[in-house]
Amino acid sequence: MDNRRISQLRAITARVLGLFRSRKRDREFDEEMQAHLQLLVDRFVAQGMSQEDAAAAARRQFGNTTLLQEDRRELRTLVSVEDLGRDLRYALRSLGRSRAFAAVAIATLGLGIGASTAIFSVIDNVLLEPFPYKDPGRMVFLQIHDTARGQEGGRQGYTSNELLEFAEQNHVFDGVIAASDDLVLYKQGEGVELLYGAHVTPGTFEFFGMPALYGRVLQAPDYQPGAAPVFVMRHKTWMERFNGDPGVLNKTFVLNGTARTLIGIMPPRFGWYEADVLIPETPIRGAATGYAGLPARWFLLGRLKPGVSKAQAAADATVIANHLAKINPQDYPAHFRVFVKRLGDTVVGRFESTLYTILAAVGLLLLIGCGNVANLMLARATSREKEFALRAVLGAGRTRLVRLLLVESLVLAIGGAALGVLIAWGGLKLIVAAMPQNLIPAESVIELNAPVLVFTLVVAVLTALIFGLAPALRAARRELNDPLRDSGKGVIGGFRTGRMRDTVVVMEVAVSLTLLIGAGLLMRSFVALREVHLGLQADHIFETQLPLPEDRYKTAAQVRGFFQPLLARVKAIPGVVDATESSALPPYGGMDSKMEISGKSHEEEWHTLLQNISEGYFRVLRIPFKMGRAFSEAEINDARRVAVVNETFVSTFLRGEDPMGRRIKLAGLETLADPVREPWFEIVGVVADVTNQGLQAPVEPEVWVPYTVTGSGAQVLLVRSQQTPTALVNDVRQAVWATDAGVALAFPSALEDRISQLLYAGPRFAFLLMTIFGCLGLILVTVGVYSVLAYATARKTHEIGIRMALGAQRTDVLRLVIRTGLRLVSAGAAIGLIMSLLLGRVIEAELWRGLKPYDPATLAGTTLLLVGTGALACWIPARRAARVDPMVALRYE
Amino acid sequence: MTNAKKSEVLQGTLDLMILKTLHALGPQHGFGIARRIEQVSRDVLQLNEGTVYTSLLRLLQQGWIAAEWGTSDNNRKAKFYSITARGEKQLAVETENWERISGVVGRVLRLEGER
Repeated sequence: MDNRRISQLRAITARVLGLFRSRKRDREFDEEMQAHLQLLVDRFVAQGMSQEDAAAAARRQFGNTTLLQEDRRELRTLVSVEDLGRDLRYALRSLGRSRAFAAVAIATLGLGIGASTAIFSVIDNVLLEPFPYKDPGRMVFLQIHDTARGQEGGRQGYTSNELLEFAEQNHVFDGVIAASDDLVLYKQGEGVELLYGAHVTPGTFEFFGMPALYGRVLQAPDYQPGAAPVFVMRHKTWMERFNGDPGVLNKTFVLNGTARTLIGIMPPRFGWYEADVLIPETPIRGAATGYAGLPARWFLLGRLKPGVSKAQAAADATVIANHLAKINPQDYPAHFRVFVKRLGDTVVGRFESTLYTILAAVGLLLLIGCGNVANLMLARATSREKEFALRAVLGAGRTRLVRLLLVESLVLAIGGAALGVLIAWGGLKLIVAAMPQNLIPAESVIELNAPVLVFTLVVAVLTALIFGLAPALRAARRELNDPLRDSGKGVIGGFRTGRMRDTVVVMEVAVSLTLLIGAGLLMRSFVALREVHLGLQADHIFETQLPLPEDRYKTAAQVRGFFQPLLARVKAIPGVVDATESSALPPYGGMDSKMEISGKSHEEEWHTLLQNISEGYFRVLRIPFKMGRAFSEAEINDARRVAVVNETFVSTFLRGEDPMGRRIKLAGLETLADPVREPWFEIVGVVADVTNQGLQAPVEPEVWVPYTVTGSGAQVLLVRSQQTPTALVNDVRQAVWATDAGVALAFPSALEDRISQLLYAGPRFAFLLMTIFGCLGLILVTVGVYSVLAYATARKTHEIGIRMALGAQRTDVLRLVIRTGLRLVSAGAAIGLIMSLLLGRVIEAELWRGLKPYDPATLAGTTLLLVGTGALACWIPARRAARVDPMVALRYE
Repeated sequence: MTNAKKSEVLQGTLDLMILKTLHALGPQHGFGIARRIEQVSRDVLQLNEGTVYTSLLRLLQQGWIAAEWGTSDNNRKAKFYSITARGEKQLAVETENWERISGVVGRVLRLEGER
């Protein structure tokens, strides 16, 4: 054996050297052959021929010298063009004869290449390089995390004082900028339109390092007191609202009552704060109020100095935060930590783990695909050993055989690659369409990633080549007549190469089960999510935010003066059942407020969610009362100090006591722009729990009070309708404009639609993709198990014939074949189960709370599914084997 | 094309014959090898003598024979080929193979209805 390998090595070396030395060698050979010819001529002349006859006879005997030269060249060089053409034709013909094999191999390769390229492109664009800014990796923001709360996250909005403290006192940032949001109303024609605006601090555009597409960005002079009011617009807004008309540049718009000049339009990928318009504002110390009279909050972004870690930044920011907590203890939890988060964490968050889970799934799929291709190639090559042996005996060189297989593998690989590119391209479009838009950064533009495509292409092509060649090399190395001797009839003959194929199948089954379990867990999780009891009836609810112009709506009386007639008008719209004001949109509660209960003393601070509503709120959302009653119209009109609380509030703060008539102090109301002095309220009712922190998080204590107690707070209109809620939008707009033509509807929608988009989109996306991958994996495994068994059974036809001739029943044969197959499947399933348990942690973050990665029902179900499919894959070859006529099988030779 | 096919058919066996010739007669040049095969095979084998050189190159690449410039009987410069130790080993293996194959090939060629 060794001897042969050395020979091969020498031959290859000779060829490679031949590439360089060929000319001299050719000349030598030509001389040698000319001498040979001359000797032949001399010999014929000596035998009495004429000179011409002798020359002709010598040439005849020697053969075609040109052809010989070509033969030699072929031997010297590694590939020759004509031969490649011949091999290609042959490969196509031979693959054409086994179309099923070619189709499965190409489809498998294509799927692997396509799926992994598409997913990795998404990950690269969404997670790895989403931001087109200068040094986005060093951009971080701060979170004040209350260590008493179990969940992650924390406050990330800061007052002007805090912002300036952080900006001036830190030692870890190159620069600090901030933005605060603002709903911007501007007059457009007759009505009023709404833009999502951001007030941005000096240096913002220098921080991001992006120039404007048209015009200019905000510069230092724009922030000077007395500077002409200006603003900058985002590209998307410019395209959608103004059809990309360059004429709007340098035009003046009245934004929230101030005439401002549009000085610049940003490039498409600029998406800071997702703001439509960016308005300059210099933060100043002292109490400031922002949107809707709520305390102004800045979201701040700092750029870490080079070499500064997140931990160092957190330590530095903690010093500042501790100092601030001493000055303003009401703004800080008793125990807190400062988290430093990267810019990407603002949007991606939970979605990141979803994407990585899917990437892992795709990797597994690619693995199965490669395994399948490997197996198919092995089985095919092995079944052709006899053909190769025959060819070798008839004079085909070993290199020739290897090259033939190589070309065949290449044809498959190229077919798979072409299909893969198509799938990647189409799949990416599908993924982008199915992807929840609110979960990815606005800056990311998802496109096909060329390096990834090249990588997967190389992996897949190499797989095809390696596994196409391994048997070819082996076949070429074998003693020529061995395969001829065992020609398919041997009792042990087919098993020598079986171990490799078996291993591949076991691995495939294991990987596929892992995928299936992942998909199953996500499916259960998704179903659980859909079945979450919101506590309210979200169907047939129309919702819209109504940002009121701040100059005219400051006091409670002004706000009531708007809503009282509006609610009356809306209720009069045909098809409307009921309508209410609210300060928050389900499934989220209102603002966070500190709270005290009269007669209860406690060490730690008590917090509750606080929402302002009108009297129709609980009727509109069909939230049932457990105790007491809802607000009366009179109580709303008179702004009485009454409150309704949820069950969690009672069980948290008043366990075992009668809540009715208890008095609570809602300190948060004192900090509003239109503050409520001495905010003591009497509990008049208790309602059933309604999700108020999103679907996944547990319900928090919540308090509802009449909206008429303050003029501050967000304003939302909820309408229960008999028809499709979105059909109401024009009627409601008319009602709003009839009340005040200067108010615009912001984000009108159907409550149900928004909830499903906001909360189900991410999990549905993960579940959808995992299910697709799981099914693909299952199909591939079925093909894999089937092909191996079908092949092994075909090779054992003779053995089966003998067994049957010796008295074996058909059922025995059936059992024999199925047992062989199921042994592989169960071995794979066992490994797969272990793998899934080990990998469970990866997927745990994706799962609905309460669902464990080792959920027995899912494990059992998916394992059964896989084993069942495996059994089916065994059944077909088994039946074929059982139908074997022993006489035919024995004569078969 | 016909020529090429013919030589291809002979390829495997021609290598073997050349090895055997060099083993039996010692170092030879190409012309000498062709003469010896002609002499031994008489009229049974139609040999294009040029293919001998293709075969020689192949054997050289495998390291089963070695080449050396020398002077022929009539004082011409000629390349002499000799069998190497590895070539001897290979000859033994191939000879044994051939004896087995020659029987099997006949059987295989008579096969029918295999597919």
